[in-house]
Amino acid sequence: MLEISGLHAGYGRVPVLRGIDLSVAPGEIVLVLGPNGAGKSTLLRSIGGFIKPTAGTVRLDGQDITGLAPEEITRRGLRLVLDGHRVFPELSVRDNIRLGAAFRGGRPDFEAMAGPALEMFPILRQKLLDPARDLSGGQQQMLALAQAFVAQPRVLLCDEPSLGIAQMLIPPILDFLKRWAALGTAVVIVEQQIDSALAVADRAVIMERGEIRLTGTAAELRQDKRVQAIYLGLDEEDTP
Amino acid sequence: MNDLLIIVVHGIGVGAIFALVGMSFNVVFNASGILNFAQGNMLVLGALFAFLLLPTQPDLLRWFILLPAVAIGLALLLAVQGYVTLLPLRSSVEQHSWLITTLAASVIIGAILLIYQGSAQQSVRSPFTAIRFMGVRIPATYALTTGLALFWFIALHIFHTRVLTGLAISALSQDLDAARAAGLRVRRLQVTAFAISGLIVGSAGFVAAPVMAIANDSGITYVMNGFVAAVVGGLGANLGALVGGVLVGMLSLYAAYEYGGEFQNLVSLALLVVVLMVRPQGLFGRQAARRV
Amino acid sequence: MNRVRFDAATRLHLLLGIIAVAGSILLPALLGSAYWTHNFLIVNLFVAVAVLQNMLLADAGQVSFGQGAVFGLSAFTVGIVAGLWGHSYAAGFLAGVAMAVVLGLLFALPALRVQGYYLGFVTLSAAVVFPEMLVAFNDLTNGINGITRAVPALTTPLGLGLTPIALMVMALAIAALLFHATLRATRLGRRIRVAAVSPEAAMALGINPGALRFIAFTIAATGTGLAGALYVPVLGFVSPYAFRVDLSIFFFFSVVVGGNGQLIGPVIGVWILYLVPNALLADLANYRLLGYGFVALLIMLAFPDGVVGTIEALRRRRRLRTQVTGISVDRVLAWPGARPRPPTQGQAITVRGVRKTFGSLAALDGVDLAVIPGSVHGLVGPNGSGKTTLLNVISGFIALNAGSVAINGTDTSRAPAYRVARLGVGRTFQTPRVLEEMSIWENLEIGADVKGDHSNWLLALLAPFRTEWSENRPDLLAHAQRRVLEVLRTVAGDADILLLDEPAAGLSAAERRDFARLVRFLSERLGKTVLLVEHDLALVWKVADRITVLDAGQVIAEGPPDTIAADPRVRRLFIGGADA
Repeated sequence: MLEISGLHAGYGRVPVLRGIDLSVAPGEIVLVLGPNGAGKSTLLRSIGGFIKPTAGTVRLDGQDITGLAPEEITRRGLRLVLDGHRVFPELSVRDNIRLGAAFRGGRPDFEAMAGPALEMFPILRQKLLDPARDLSGGQQQMLALAQAFVAQPRVLLCDEPSLGIAQMLIPPILDFLKRWAALGTAVVIVEQQIDSALAVADRAVIMERGEIRLTGTAAELRQDKRVQAIYLGLDEEDTP
Repeated sequence: MNDLLIIVVHGIGVGAIFALVGMSFNVVFNASGILNFAQGNMLVLGALFAFLLLPTQPDLLRWFILLPAVAIGLALLLAVQGYVTLLPLRSSVEQHSWLITTLAASVIIGAILLIYQGSAQQSVRSPFTAIRFMGVRIPATYALTTGLALFWFIALHIFHTRVLTGLAISALSQDLDAARAAGLRVRRLQVTAFAISGLIVGSAGFVAAPVMAIANDSGITYVMNGFVAAVVGGLGANLGALVGGVLVGMLSLYAAYEYGGEFQNLVSLALLVVVLMVRPQGLFGRQAARRV
Repeated sequence: MNRVRFDAATRLHLLLGIIAVAGSILLPALLGSAYWTHNFLIVNLFVAVAVLQNMLLADAGQVSFGQGAVFGLSAFTVGIVAGLWGHSYAAGFLAGVAMAVVLGLLFALPALRVQGYYLGFVTLSAAVVFPEMLVAFNDLTNGINGITRAVPALTTPLGLGLTPIALMVMALAIAALLFHATLRATRLGRRIRVAAVSPEAAMALGINPGALRFIAFTIAATGTGLAGALYVPVLGFVSPYAFRVDLSIFFFFSVVVGGNGQLIGPVIGVWILYLVPNALLADLANYRLLGYGFVALLIMLAFPDGVVGTIEALRRRRRLRTQVTGISVDRVLAWPGARPRPPTQGQAITVRGVRKTFGSLAALDGVDLAVIPGSVHGLVGPNGSGKTTLLNVISGFIALNAGSVAINGTDTSRAPAYRVARLGVGRTFQTPRVLEEMSIWENLEIGADVKGDHSNWLLALLAPFRTEWSENRPDLLAHAQRRVLEVLRTVAGDADILLLDEPAAGLSAAERRDFARLVRFLSERLGKTVLLVEHDLALVWKVADRITVLDAGQVIAEGPPDTIAADPRVRRLFIGGADA
């Protein structure tokens, strides 16, 4: 479904990604882990069109989408949820969700479109008419996901969904992502903290300095001593 | 006492024109960060159409038919101008390009007016009769500009809070990246915003024509006062433009009454400098709402 | 003093510019064409104004739409003093320039508060109001009738059809070009440009950006005033209509159409915008404005970087294929000298109980930090733990809410960034603040400008590269080289304390090893104190003498690398709950 090969990208002249290969199947949840500055967010932003890759390709269902504008990529069925639970603060919860499906045109029935998401996040239903700036960080993250849900993407990219969110709100968010994937959506989640999303992931990759260093299932990575070494910068041959 | 009332009433009427220009600035600015310098001459074009198309004898039916027609005409023209203005921004990060292209568009419209009518000033007769209010005669046009300013204030509010396209344009100003991630086509929405600003200045020019100087060099004065109105109120906030416009209108009429017409713009400039030095975000500015 | 040197592109621009100015004054005079002689006098007066507008816009970053008003005020003052009041032209000339400078200073006032299009609108409004005031105060200015004042002494030909005023205009336009080129090669010019491009980098280099804006406005107003004062003998007449807002817009257009920042750009811009409509539409006066508007619009659409800017971009693109000699860390490390390490008692940086809140969020919540002189001190912690905020507080970029900061024992808790920098604190930024519009060599020189000392060992060491680096811009350098350039810039400024913000981001393994050696060299051989914020823990373990770990705005551990790496709290912090 999503196939990335040989992807190089960076900010301006700063090279960040150095040849990433990754593919995700429908219904699969892939977790991208790695220490600070490993290039995880850059990877998602390069796939989502916010950063133009300098080399390599991104394919969605075999179709080359490398270097397209972000809005065009979203319209082709790949939706990126940015980090920092970004929503439109002055708009109501309901309008935020409506805008998520705006590009699909027509006059979709709000209930039919947003129902499943609101069922998972009942708090959003209660606050449907409140401006999004009044929500807590965790609620804004739920809103950002609900907004992405109504776009009905085939691939969902989620950048640090647990960052800056109260601990108790993380399980329902992960649960939502799991059910969403069960509908046949390919899901890529970026997290820094290893444990936060490992339970829902089918597979995890660990990035370091713009490269994928380790790949494995949740159970495998939990045991792997190299993971700790990567996170602590103790894995190099020239380390004192 | 009577003089004061005249200053206030006329000030509101004139200020409403500035407020309309200010709101048209805001629509484009919120969607794109561009301030369209041609907006003043677009307003003058709206008035010119009133001069060309309205018969010398009062004809209300014609007036009511032409008002939306002129507004739509200007909307199309501004959509084209907006498209052209946004073109170089695609290929280059040159920050001065929009300053030049919008100013050049303004120069071109002024030049066409100059070729068409020389340096003459045209004026239009209002088809409406004046109203009396507390013993003061108010030209109907001032009542109409005030009404139009209120109409557009409310219409823009509904547009930005109820209509999906309006919501999308608001979304652009609140978080551009999140809007793009949501699949909103930025360019198309920005051109739409230009067109809406055309509806505003087109209708405003048409309605205000009887009190406007329709000349090749009057556009810049409206740009300036419209900008002062928008900045005094807080760039981007339409309520601010409304209040700011009325403030600028009353102050400049007071200056004209007390010192002479040449001092109207000086007072606006002074107001602009004071506001920028003391409270750069304006009376109703919301700095926090914009994610940088 | 070091002699001013121009790079090849500057020399070419200067040569062509001087030929254009001198040729356009001399040729029509020798050929005896009164029409073209007159037109080119005006063109070259405008060139002088536009050159200074170019300096103001491109070098100082100030958007002024009011230069026509400055020009007009000078001309009108000459008219009033020398015409209406009957004084000599020389007296009028001096008064005109003085008034122009006063107006320039008035423009600089709002520039302290607002920038960009706000400033553009303020100056534009001033340009709208200026001719209205000339009319309003008609007792003083003769209003719409204007003032006639001939200066026969300057308009009588000396021979070959050349008048003294023609030579003066020629001299002024050439002087403006030479001045602009020279300014760029001086400390003042470099500092003006740094302040415009990156206020943060400027403050880190000890520059007060507001002060330099004032200087730039004053310089521009002086030159524009000189041109305005010469306008009177050229025309023999001043009228308010000549100084409407269109004139100010014309100057601005000339710069951008020619190519913002290109030395010869204003010459090309004025020629295109003044001559094309005048030559093609000479008989259709009303169409000139239309032609001028369309020319400006089409050039901006076709060449968004202006005419000269586009040509230069093409020339440079060809050159980009050839890589310049890299900035070699090895060469710096090969420096045979050493400086005595400072005494290790005392503290280079002392932070006590610092709090900094953004809204309700406490980014720093009672942080203490002591950095030993001459040591490399690592500052690590997860995203959002407050590392960069602490760096910004120490370097004076962010005002703290509580607590104190001292540099070498001097309290700097309330000092602005440029003062802290003058105490010998240099810093780098997460994205290198390398100035793209300057040559690589100039990027080093702006470091040396901090103390005005260009004879220091580093510049001497790198002198063999001077010619090559003066001809090339930093866009030829790879990312890692730009990092090194930024660090060397602070070393060139002889800063004792270096604050490095994530220097290893984006470096390859080999580049990181080089960088680590450079950091150790700074500390061991040059005696610099280095405070290093870094995500890349491997690098920190390797180069730091001591490490402070921040989490959520608080110090959770402090000590030598071995202790910190083994600390279970630190392991938990970086890995998550995995081995908790």
